Amino acid sequence: MTGRDRLAASLDHRSTDRVAVDFGASFVTGMHVSAVTRLRRHLLGDTGFRVKVNEPYQMLGEIDDQLRAALPIDVIGIPGRKSIFGTESRDWKPFTLFDGTECLVPGQFNVTRAPDAGWHMYPEGDTSVRPSGHMPAGGYFFDSIIRQPPIDDDRLDPADNLEEFAPLDDADLEFYRAQRRWLDEHGDLGALLVIPGAAFGDIALVPAPFLKNPRGIRDIEEWYVSTVARQDFVLEVFDRQCAIAERNLLTLIGLFGDSVQVALLTGTDFGTQRGPFISRGAYRTLYQPFHRRLNDLIHRHSSWKTFIHSCGDVYPLLPDFIASGFDILNPVQCSAAEMDPARLKSEFGRDITFWGGGVDTQHTLPFGTPDEIYRECRERIDIFAAGGGFVFNAIHNVQGPTSVEKMLAMFRAIRDSAGG
Amino acid sequence: MTTLEQLYQAVIDGKNKDARALAQRALDEGANPGDIVDKALVPAMAAVGERFKSNEIFVPEMLVAARAMKEAMGVLEPRLVAAGITPKYTALIGTVQGDLHDIGKNLVAVMWRGSNFRVIDLGSNVPATKFVSAINEHRPHLVGLSALLTTTMPAMVETVRAIRSAGCPPVKIMVGGAPISQQFADEVGADGFAPDAASAAEKARALVESA
Repeated sequence: MTGRDRLAASLDHRSTDRVAVDFGASFVTGMHVSAVTRLRRHLLGDTGFRVKVNEPYQMLGEIDDQLRAALPIDVIGIPGRKSIFGTESRDWKPFTLFDGTECLVPGQFNVTRAPDAGWHMYPEGDTSVRPSGHMPAGGYFFDSIIRQPPIDDDRLDPADNLEEFAPLDDADLEFYRAQRRWLDEHGDLGALLVIPGAAFGDIALVPAPFLKNPRGIRDIEEWYVSTVARQDFVLEVFDRQCAIAERNLLTLIGLFGDSVQVALLTGTDFGTQRGPFISRGAYRTLYQPFHRRLNDLIHRHSSWKTFIHSCGDVYPLLPDFIASGFDILNPVQCSAAEMDPARLKSEFGRDITFWGGGVDTQHTLPFGTPDEIYRECRERIDIFAAGGGFVFNAIHNVQGPTSVEKMLAMFRAIRDSAGG
Repeated sequence: MTTLEQLYQAVIDGKNKDARALAQRALDEGANPGDIVDKALVPAMAAVGERFKSNEIFVPEMLVAARAMKEAMGVLEPRLVAAGITPKYTALIGTVQGDLHDIGKNLVAVMWRGSNFRVIDLGSNVPATKFVSAINEHRPHLVGLSALLTTTMPAMVETVRAIRSAGCPPVKIMVGGAPISQQFADEVGADGFAPDAASAAEKARALVESA
């Protein structure tokens, strides 16, 4: 089976020759550039090769064609034209991380020293404006710097929180046409498309680290407060955002057609370690109507399956996600309260594909032995892959300090599982 | 309903403007500011914590209640200071070095305040040395260390070790955050762990009262 066939079969809940695997197709299923560099050097040698940082917020490394061919990886992905810092993946230049990893970063990846000896990052690389990201000294990735203008409840305007949502422009279309050609050149691989502007209230995006002068509600706690205390405002933002996303989706469906198999719609987190972040009622009121609109449109006009990413315990919300029309759940955080793999598979395995859950990145992968990692991966594959409906991925991105031995244990488990 | 009962309800419901106005009205009616805290705000936050633990409310509702409590405290604090009323216990809290995440830490801080602790919030990305100097300066009963990231768990280990080895005044140490467990707390030599902000308030009281 090709990677594309394997992904198609998995999404159709059919058995495959081995489990379909994704590392690197999206901003939530990747590997930190330090981990990619280590793995690549071990497998391919070429110590002078610098891995590209293709997602500069979490500092994810590109899984290039050569590395992918050396690993059981079946899926490639298309990100948005601009990163969360508003940078574009071009004009690469060398950069060295705190851990000494030598990599390549986009030309607009401009940092200055932060007061704690970490780095400040700037929207679109413009160091003349306030920084929008901060990586602490010794850190592995950035977090947003909150730039919240004073809030006057009587003058709140939904348009201020909609600045980042717009119809695709000529530059976007040119980018996506080039991506379509790239997909066609990799026709034996599964394909995922990140849908721009389709995540409602994603807390990584609310502070707008890509904007030079964000307006509206941009503070994280203030946004969460708004989902309770300013619901009409939030609903108005979501409704207008959804209308823009619907138009863009029709354009993208026309452009990509069946070359894409999966549409990643949302990375908004609805779970915490101990339970859902919000009530089912809040999900149904605030998010479900818009999730339904986008899922319905995609299913009406394309063959694409739709992908929702939400960290944490979302077990109580899963029936609602399924009712919203989602086909795929990621990252399947089995380390959270009610996310027992066997129960998830038995209760929801017929209705949704689990994309993730392959190994625990909070405990097992960083702190376990290679044997423990191998055993957990085998166990998860046995549970989740039965009858299809599973794409192997770690629970969220593989972290920077992960050793080669641990990553190899994971891939060995994937390969061995194919033999039964 | 009495003014204090209304204030109690306003905090639970997250009505921040009402909470501020009701705190002011209670003062205007002659209530002792310490009594307003003890009889309205502390029980309100305890009720919020209970509802959170039983999944009747979730993080956003808790944040809204916390905001209402802060509004009421904004009115009461000058009067508390003027009357020389201070909480019995003091706590320090911060997110460990390398970690910029603070929502969980902030929720714990507000629940501790709601349990009548004086809370000194050191913020996020706090070096171990800063915890040590703050402990020497403020002599708290309790210090809370937060971490969201797996990659900053070693900084938590380092911070506990620094506090224990620096000859600080005796202090209870609590740890928490998404990847943190009771087992980890035991391994690093912390005195307590709580899986969520509501439990952290109960655990904090238990720790300082048993000291």
